[in-house]
Amino acid sequence: MKATNDGRAFVRLGIWFTLPSLLFVLGVWWSTSGSFEAGFVRFVNAMLTSFTLVSFMLLVTLFAYGDARKRPIAPLTGMLMVVGAGIGLTMFFLSQGELLMEDNASVRAQYLSNIVRFATTSAAIVVASVVVGGVLLASLLNTPQKQILFEEE
Amino acid sequence: MEEATQALVFFWFAGFLFLVGSLLAFFSKGNAQRKVGMVFVGLGFLSLVTTPWTASSSPSSAFGHLLGSILGPTVLLGVGFYQIAFSGHVPVGRLSSTERRVGVVMVVVGVVWFEAMHWWTLTPTYPDEVNSSWLIFWPTMLLVGFAFACGAYAVVGQIGDRRVKEQRLMIVVAGFLMSLMVLGVTMDGPSLARERFATELLLAAADLFGVFVGMLLAMLLFAVVLFVYESTHVPVHLPPPSKEQLQQAGTIVARNLSGGEDE
Repeated sequence: MKATNDGRAFVRLGIWFTLPSLLFVLGVWWSTSGSFEAGFVRFVNAMLTSFTLVSFMLLVTLFAYGDARKRPIAPLTGMLMVVGAGIGLTMFFLSQGELLMEDNASVRAQYLSNIVRFATTSAAIVVASVVVGGVLLASLLNTPQKQILFEEE
Repeated sequence: MEEATQALVFFWFAGFLFLVGSLLAFFSKGNAQRKVGMVFVGLGFLSLVTTPWTASSSPSSAFGHLLGSILGPTVLLGVGFYQIAFSGHVPVGRLSSTERRVGVVMVVVGVVWFEAMHWWTLTPTYPDEVNSSWLIFWPTMLLVGFAFACGAYAVVGQIGDRRVKEQRLMIVVAGFLMSLMVLGVTMDGPSLARERFATELLLAAADLFGVFVGMLLAMLLFAVVLFVYESTHVPVHLPPPSKEQLQQAGTIVARNLSGGEDE
């Protein structure tokens, strides 16, 4: 890595990842006068679903951690509480009338719809990674190898 | 079988099997566990893809239909990029130039196939209208791809040396994906109006932001849980060795350092 400050480099990468997309989305929002409320409801639903499902996945990875640490029960209990809190919070907010409900008739239907939406978003992220990663890898492996030329003494 | 039971068994249980199988395949140390994980992934995926037939009454089966619809172009892209990449400068197992050409054709067909799903008659339709999962998938994929390409531009510039070519390529990819989004927002497709695409694009952005924040929160709490556990199990501090113990250790070390006579 080039001799730059690691923290600054990390921030720079974060800006490159998010800023162009953010500007583009803001442009589309401005030009089409999209609904802020619908976007906010989607954001909160996605956040709660992602929090619960990712916590569950991390809970499963604790079994691998347990193999190396004499199977401790404490972190497992901790993560179970985190998953429980995620499910509880989601159920609580969904049951508050129309607060987080989208085009679904019941709380259960909304919750299941959130999970399906999360799965669809994950599939989109995987395909996008295949496209961008594939182009990058193909280009990197097809670049001629660098040769070190030694000058004659 | 009742409709709810069909959805529970063929969609939700299959999805759970797929998730657990993926985690087992990635995180298990043993070969047997990994193989079991791969079998779970295969069975789960197969069951999900066949939900339009096995659990057709469930709205969730639209996701299974989407998976079946994007399987073809995704496999073409994945295998195509693999063929192109590994026909390049790899020291072992280099593929031939014919395989490289086949890879290029596969990538082109994959991209055209995806485009035809938006701009032609190949749009996934389930049961009688545009698949609701496709409306989520397509704008999300374009937006994430755009963000990844911009991020990859910065990563390549940061890590690599003399990677101008790759950086230019990432700009091309980002530009291509952005132009697809702009076209989708400004022009009606045969089965998807521009207003609907713009709405779905904004919802996709909100969705991605929510997923990202939720994921970060979960990881933060995971780190806190592990930190609390590890910090409460600090090893007991032992008293420093006494003079006799040091002397005994010194004697043992000296005895082993002196060595024997050469034979």
